[in-house]
Amino acid sequence: MLAGKGFGKVYNLTGGIKAWEKQVAVGAEETGLHLFTREEGPGEAIIIGFGLEMGLRDFYLSMQSKVSLESTKLLFGKLADIEILHQQRLVELYKEMTGIGLTITEFAEKIAEPAMEGGLTTEEYLQLYRIDLNSELEVLGLALAIEAQALDLYLRASERSEISETRQVLLQIAEEERSHIARLGSYIDHHQELT
Amino acid sequence: MEQLMKWLQFFTPVSSITWEEAHRLADQTPGRDVLFLDVRQPKEYTQGHLPGAKLIPLGDLESRLAELEKDKPIVIY
Repeated sequence: MLAGKGFGKVYNLTGGIKAWEKQVAVGAEETGLHLFTREEGPGEAIIIGFGLEMGLRDFYLSMQSKVSLESTKLLFGKLADIEILHQQRLVELYKEMTGIGLTITEFAEKIAEPAMEGGLTTEEYLQLYRIDLNSELEVLGLALAIEAQALDLYLRASERSEISETRQVLLQIAEEERSHIARLGSYIDHHQELT
Repeated sequence: MEQLMKWLQFFTPVSSITWEEAHRLADQTPGRDVLFLDVRQPKEYTQGHLPGAKLIPLGDLESRLAELEKDKPIVIY
């Protein structure tokens, strides 16, 4: 239908979604979009992203306190620490976009409010991914799923933003999420080879 | 004219590509500006979709064509 209506570059995906072997995102089209107004500027979009990273770090830390197995405790701690690196990247992006240089602490205390990355709540994630908290692989799978949710959220928010600069910033943050997924994927593969 | 358009739609070929090719296409397109279009039902989308995919169920596609950019590569699943 599309090709005959003047759409010049249309491709049909062989095998559909079932052939997709990587992480999928779940939830309706609107999931998490309540965090965005469509009208925020790029700086405000970065603040929302920072809040999501803060929320995810809090989530990992709370999970760390819930598990008893030392190896998964360490893993949740590691995942929480990685979020600081993600936050740092957003602070740098904020400076690039607004010219305002802040530390992570200043950013966290004065500007951002934690929200759960990907737009779902902690409980929703735990309900959705009933993981075995004693399995490192399942914990890593959960982290990967959350990053996929985040990627999906930023791409959908970008699509809906009415501000061109904000769309670009959200796409940049989405790219960051894509690289987080790639790094986690490599880590999981590495982990699998070790065991 | 309307009749001609209908025949044109019917006969205009659409290339099939694999996921690997689709990702190569995204990697090679500036700004990864490729639209992944999910034409399944909302319930199926909710259960699992490609991150960033746009949902337009097949039955609504004709009435929502204005939401799509004609020059942008579109990968449909």
